Amino acid sequence: MITTQRSISGSSQSPRSPSSQPYLSVSVTDPVKLGNGVQAYISYRVITKTNLPEYQGPEKIVIRRYSDFVWLHDHLFEKYKGIFIPPLPEKSAVEKFRFSSEFIEMRCQALDTFVNRIASHHELQQSEDLRTFLQADEETMERLMSQETGIFKRKPADLMQIFKDVQSRVSDVVLGKEKPVEESNPEYEKLKHYIFELENHLAEAQKHAYRLVKRHRELGQSLSDFGKAVKLLGACEGNSLGKVFSDLGTKSETLSDKLQKEAHQLLMNFEEPLKDYVRSVQSIKATIAERANAFRRQCELAETIKLKEINLNRLILIRSDKVGEAEFEYNQLKAESEEATRMFEKIMRLMNEEIVRFQEQKTLDMGIAFHEFAKGQARLANGIATAWRSLLPKLEACSSS
Amino acid sequence: MEQQRSISGSSQSPRSPSSQPYLSVSVTDPVKLGNGVQAYISYRVITKTNLPEYQGPEKIVIRRYSDFVWLHDHLFEKYKGIFIPPLPEKSAVEKFRFSSEFIEMRCQALDTFVNRIASHHELQQSEDLRTFLQADEETMERLMSQETGIFKRKPADLMQIFKDVQSRVSDVVLGKEKPVEESNPEYEKLKHYIFELENHLAEAQKHAYRLVKRHRELGQSLSDFGKAVKLLGACEGNSLGKVFSDLGTKSETLSDKLQKEAHQLLMNFEEPLKDYVRSVQSIKATIAERANAFRRQCELAETIKLKEINLNRLILIRSDKVGEAEFEYNQLKAESEEATRMFEKIMRLMNEEIVRFQEQKTLDMGIAFHEFAKGQARLANGIATAWRSLLPKLEACSSS
Repeated sequence: MITTQRSISGSSQSPRSPSSQPYLSVSVTDPVKLGNGVQAYISYRVITKTNLPEYQGPEKIVIRRYSDFVWLHDHLFEKYKGIFIPPLPEKSAVEKFRFSSEFIEMRCQALDTFVNRIASHHELQQSEDLRTFLQADEETMERLMSQETGIFKRKPADLMQIFKDVQSRVSDVVLGKEKPVEESNPEYEKLKHYIFELENHLAEAQKHAYRLVKRHRELGQSLSDFGKAVKLLGACEGNSLGKVFSDLGTKSETLSDKLQKEAHQLLMNFEEPLKDYVRSVQSIKATIAERANAFRRQCELAETIKLKEINLNRLILIRSDKVGEAEFEYNQLKAESEEATRMFEKIMRLMNEEIVRFQEQKTLDMGIAFHEFAKGQARLANGIATAWRSLLPKLEACSSS
Repeated sequence: MEQQRSISGSSQSPRSPSSQPYLSVSVTDPVKLGNGVQAYISYRVITKTNLPEYQGPEKIVIRRYSDFVWLHDHLFEKYKGIFIPPLPEKSAVEKFRFSSEFIEMRCQALDTFVNRIASHHELQQSEDLRTFLQADEETMERLMSQETGIFKRKPADLMQIFKDVQSRVSDVVLGKEKPVEESNPEYEKLKHYIFELENHLAEAQKHAYRLVKRHRELGQSLSDFGKAVKLLGACEGNSLGKVFSDLGTKSETLSDKLQKEAHQLLMNFEEPLKDYVRSVQSIKATIAERANAFRRQCELAETIKLKEINLNRLILIRSDKVGEAEFEYNQLKAESEEATRMFEKIMRLMNEEIVRFQEQKTLDMGIAFHEFAKGQARLANGIATAWRSLLPKLEACSSS
């Protein structure tokens, strides 16, 4: 059971604070495998502790599965354009069948991070969908999921396809393939370029961090096999040399354990945070795409309005009886255009704030992750050096006797 | 690469007082000659000695692997009972690739081979050794082409004969050829020990080799990781970026350390283990020779009994074949005495050799495992120091 309470920034506090201080504290824990074979899935316990009036406090526990988290993510993405929605861990249909305890542990931690980031975000924490997610009983959630219409009602494969469309639209826009509808904002260009570069380098670093984890495991396994073989050799000998062999073999097996443990630490405290940031950057790219959409919509409407205005004036001049209809359409479009401009400007404003928040958070989290990395490596190497050194006196005695 | 392996015996520096006998050999300077399938490596064999049988004080000849095989095979035939030092494997495949590592390991193994012969109180007096160390290259070639009988064979044949010997050993030890087995409990124990030792040594050597591989793989991954982190740092540009760059550079430095340690592991630990596997296989070959000698002795003893019975019968019936039979009988008796002498000599030599082998093995294994632990401790120390040196900067980053 993993109870992680990620305190990022905001209002996550202990439940014993004075009741006047508003707090909202969430944890995702207790992953349990349910169902069989292809139908198998994992359920998680989501515990909410709060004194906010909108919630059925002070504590509420619900059972949720991965698709419920996806529901929450997608709703927030649609309703809060401009904000970098915290990323979800990958769906991973293949690994699910294998359900290694490591996979389950990583996913649970990632989902806990996801919900906590939403709960600590000053805008997102006020979302009604969040409240529904945290409080609705399981039948209500099921009903909501089945009622999904439009872009929400989709299978995971569809989600991926839409995401890919968004991604390619971003590339097209950034690469200037759809020329007429690109913002000409040098600072924004720089930001987009930075985000794309960052994603590439983060993905590379994460890939090699994962390989490092694998190498630690392989070295550990080899040391263990080696230790066993040397112990057998020692049993065959039987003299003082045999005793030294046995000690060396046992030491190898001990160090093999250390390596396996460190590999796990590396995975959870370094490789996963890196992967989490790759996802975060991809979430930013999705927001970049939304901003491009809003900009294009604004431009298209502006174009259309100009034409409508020219047409309206023409109809007025020739005293056509279609003037009323045209005027109505024109006013409708004008309202839409103003709405589109408002939406675009809101996205711009939110993104600027979000970028600052993201940079600060990233610097902090990356610093911690790399610090953990170096600490773990130093600790492991120290343990290994100590172990081998402890054998040297006996070995020296053997090699000079 | 000049290595002077002083194991036990008379290898001394050339500047000793000339009254002290010395014989010092080194195999060095491997050079690749020829092309493609015909390619081979030549080695320089330098002999420094004041022994009268040699053209002293220094003689340099060029030899190739098959010349070393010639020497090995001749000694194996002539010095039955003695554990002939083993050769590195022929390895027809690796030869084509000729990695510098392969060449280095082979050269070291050949140097060890010759030095062990030169330091063995019996083998060092061999005429074949003198020929090997001194004959000019044309003479060696002529000798090689003149080989008859069991000597005249291609490497594949050698392997086959060796395998036959091996299987005969197994047969003998497993008692498949029951009538001709020694009933010597101490000897049984020794054979059992040798077979077990070979298995465990081979296992340990296999896993030691894997350890070398894992060190290399970890080093490669650290290097790739370092490069990726440096790119990430360049992308950042602030104080975090600087820390990334330092961490990336440190990773690349440690990658180098790992590669170097992998090489040390290979040369100072894995190769000595492999060398001892070969030594134990050489002992098994001697065990087979002893079994052969014992069987021959038994067969001749059997045959002589029959001949004696036949001879007495012929004498009784006053046959005119008595003279012939008597002649054959005396011949066989001489052979039988020779076979017995040979078998007893092998037994005696083996007893001495076992003692020598055990002492040497304990020493060499102790050194090899000591080197292993030292190398591992040194590597781990270097790694711990490197990462610790980054911690202050990283701490500053993660709390600012």
